[in-house]
Amino acid sequence: MNELLEVRDVVAGYGDGPAILNGASLKVQPGKVHCIIGPNGAGKSTLLKAICGMLKVRQGDVKLRGEDLKGLRPDQVLKKGICFVPQERALFPKMTVRENLRMGGFSLEDKSDLEERIDEIEERFPILKERRDQHAGTMSGGQQQTLSMARTMIIRPDIVMLDEPSLGLAPKIVQEVFDIMHVMAETGITVLIVEQNALMGLKNADWGVVLDLGRTLFEGPADEVLADPRIQELYLGGKKAA
Amino acid sequence: MAEIIQIVVLGLALGGVYALMGSGLSLVFGVMRIVNLAHPSLIMGGAYVAYWGFRLYGIDPLIMLPVAAVILAATGVILYKLFFEREARSAKYSEMTVLLTFAVAMILEGGLATAFTNTQRVTSPEYATDAFFIGSVFIPKGQLYAGIVSLVLIGGLALFLKFSRFGYAIRATTQNREAAELLGVNVNFVGLASFAIGVGLAGAAGTLVSFVFSFYPSKHWEWIAVLMSLVVLGGMGSILGTVVASFLLSVIAAFVGYYFGATWSTLTFYIALFVVLLVRPQGLFGEKPELA
Amino acid sequence: MVTTDNSQDIIAQRRAYNETLMQAQDKTRATWFPIALLALLILLPLLQLTGTNYNYVIHLTLYTMCYVVMASGWNILGGFAGYISLGHNVFFAVGGYVAGMLFARLGISTIILAPFAGLVCAALGYVIGLITLRVRGPSFIISSLALVMIFRIAFENWHFIGGAAGVALPANGLPVEWAKLPYYYAFLAMAAFALWASYKIKHSKFGMGLRAISVDEIKAESAGIDTRFYKVLAFALSAFFVGMAGAVWGEYLTYIRPNIFLVILISVNMVLMCILGGKGTVAGPAVGAILIIAFNEFFVATLGASTVNILATGVIMAIALIFFPLGLVGTLARHRKLPRILNWD
Repeated sequence: MNELLEVRDVVAGYGDGPAILNGASLKVQPGKVHCIIGPNGAGKSTLLKAICGMLKVRQGDVKLRGEDLKGLRPDQVLKKGICFVPQERALFPKMTVRENLRMGGFSLEDKSDLEERIDEIEERFPILKERRDQHAGTMSGGQQQTLSMARTMIIRPDIVMLDEPSLGLAPKIVQEVFDIMHVMAETGITVLIVEQNALMGLKNADWGVVLDLGRTLFEGPADEVLADPRIQELYLGGKKAA
Repeated sequence: MAEIIQIVVLGLALGGVYALMGSGLSLVFGVMRIVNLAHPSLIMGGAYVAYWGFRLYGIDPLIMLPVAAVILAATGVILYKLFFEREARSAKYSEMTVLLTFAVAMILEGGLATAFTNTQRVTSPEYATDAFFIGSVFIPKGQLYAGIVSLVLIGGLALFLKFSRFGYAIRATTQNREAAELLGVNVNFVGLASFAIGVGLAGAAGTLVSFVFSFYPSKHWEWIAVLMSLVVLGGMGSILGTVVASFLLSVIAAFVGYYFGATWSTLTFYIALFVVLLVRPQGLFGEKPELA
Repeated sequence: MVTTDNSQDIIAQRRAYNETLMQAQDKTRATWFPIALLALLILLPLLQLTGTNYNYVIHLTLYTMCYVVMASGWNILGGFAGYISLGHNVFFAVGGYVAGMLFARLGISTIILAPFAGLVCAALGYVIGLITLRVRGPSFIISSLALVMIFRIAFENWHFIGGAAGVALPANGLPVEWAKLPYYYAFLAMAAFALWASYKIKHSKFGMGLRAISVDEIKAESAGIDTRFYKVLAFALSAFFVGMAGAVWGEYLTYIRPNIFLVILISVNMVLMCILGGKGTVAGPAVGAILIIAFNEFFVATLGASTVNILATGVIMAIALIFFPLGLVGTLARHRKLPRILNWD
């Protein structure tokens, strides 16, 4: 199996604080949707932040196609092809939707086709075309999530990492978010998603990863993870329904 | 009626200078979340550059403006590297940086006072004491020129922020630092550059101050609360807000000064600061109250 | 499916982690030390009986104790609750003026008036706190600076209290070697009281609440703490101590004048002492006061100019903030190297 991204025994935490991750590992295969689940405080978001360079990796390895990412700043990791959408929907509230999309292409070396790329995104997500000149801060939560996810596609990254994209959205909208995720996967982007709603996340993923206490407990095909009785008991609320 | 117009004109003339004094402060707060209490003492530094240029070589303060801006911007880079860069990830960031800027203010005050004493200084180009007359209303030339230069500089800054690639990066960092970082903005460099620009603006403002007000190193304490009132009323981080607040407050202060005496006119700014914090902590153009 | 770890191991890990959190701090304390220090300070004026004049030593000790009172007071708000005020010299001034004016008119000693002046400051602090504590962080710090400017202008222009020239107060009629002693003992009593009160506050429910506020105010509030009342009360208490110190300070100097009390350096000193000694600790402000007064004396003695003093104070403050943000007591405690005699918490 050739991994696109390999995370091995990573130890990381915030500032000088205690380590949140105590040896987390992860293998990411190209073109698939990976879902990380686990209880609160398991280190799911921390893992994504460690990969994208927002947190310092104290021990362990983070390798993209065999190339070490450790010690790079977020803007450098982005240039390698990994894009991260944090929980707080990283938008610029006082910029228009179009300007937000333009910021999405900030890291492009060659900006000559930036406008065409933006047009392409607008075609794919008509709501963004409709709201083009509106300030991003005035949109609904679902629209904001659409914008922040669509924006990552401008630079055509290899991997997009999403930190709980469904957080705070109405159930009806949540499915839309997963639909966007599938659109991404169809265009060849590898997706790595952290999801609080483990059931929903695993159902929408190809590959499941269970994290607890800063360590990887299990990883495997999403349907196998979903069917495992231990995981059902511990992390899916004990319900047998699935 | 003529009296009232006269007061408004005098207020507006000073408002421009205040706007430039405050806008660098606002920029640095917006991008870096640093409340730079050293800003007034950096303005003082700019004023001394103009003063010595004028005193030793007879150079007009307005010509010294770019020189002061560059010298102070370089000072800004040094200060940033020395004091603020390492605090970027500190948990008590806003508290730490505000106290550090306070320490910097004391270092600058002590340094300037040791070098140049606490004697009152002023540069006196001819226009500083001259005035235009429109009917019975007089407009002091010095304040008028200073106001125009201020507005040109602030306008340039606004265009730069709105249209340049780097301006995009600065605005993005102001609005959402983390998001900007994740989209490929090198936020550390943006921080350094905007700190340098903000301090450079302080240097530019200092050259204008040198012929509008008299100054001495320990005077910066009086300016801190004045400038803070502009920035808080405008909405911390909003440069447009700072400009509007500057004109508004300096006109009000001119009225207070006219009717109650000059002592009380500075009180306007301090009282305004309190009232704003009490009634609308986010200021005129701010979105939400600034929390720790 | 790959299982990279078994759950037993993880449960053991969590248990171990919880235990490290549970490990109680080293509580050993040397109660004898503060008592011995107090006794030493009570006996210090006996030096005057040796025939040599030790007024300078008495003055420096008194001056340090004055700052112990103020810094400890500041620490209640700035250290425990985490609200940095750069405007606490306002209460120093109000305390000084309330007691000084009553002393000038009625002849009652400020030493007797000090608690009253402190209460006036506490009331004033309560009202000001109601206004300024609506905002946090940088906004609060700015508002505290504005407060100083407002009071400075008001005091300099209020003729009843002497305006900028201030009011001269009569000196006591004691012989020169004993003249300082009433104030010396007043400040000693206040300093001891302030430290004792700090200890009591820190260990009360109120003190716990303040510390919770300083860590995370929103969480403290959702945990059921009346944060608003706690903060304002902390503001009032800290004003009380600073005001008491101001009351006696005026009579000691024999005049009250705005530029004695309302200079920024006094505020800075309070803040700096707490930072250097250790914010939020009981001993910190006292340790900081001793260090800063010693530094100041050193600079005045060697370099003379007060401008250099300002420069040096700024440099010390910057160094302390960057390298010892927890202060001497805090840093030593973190590394578990705090000598037992300084563990007053």
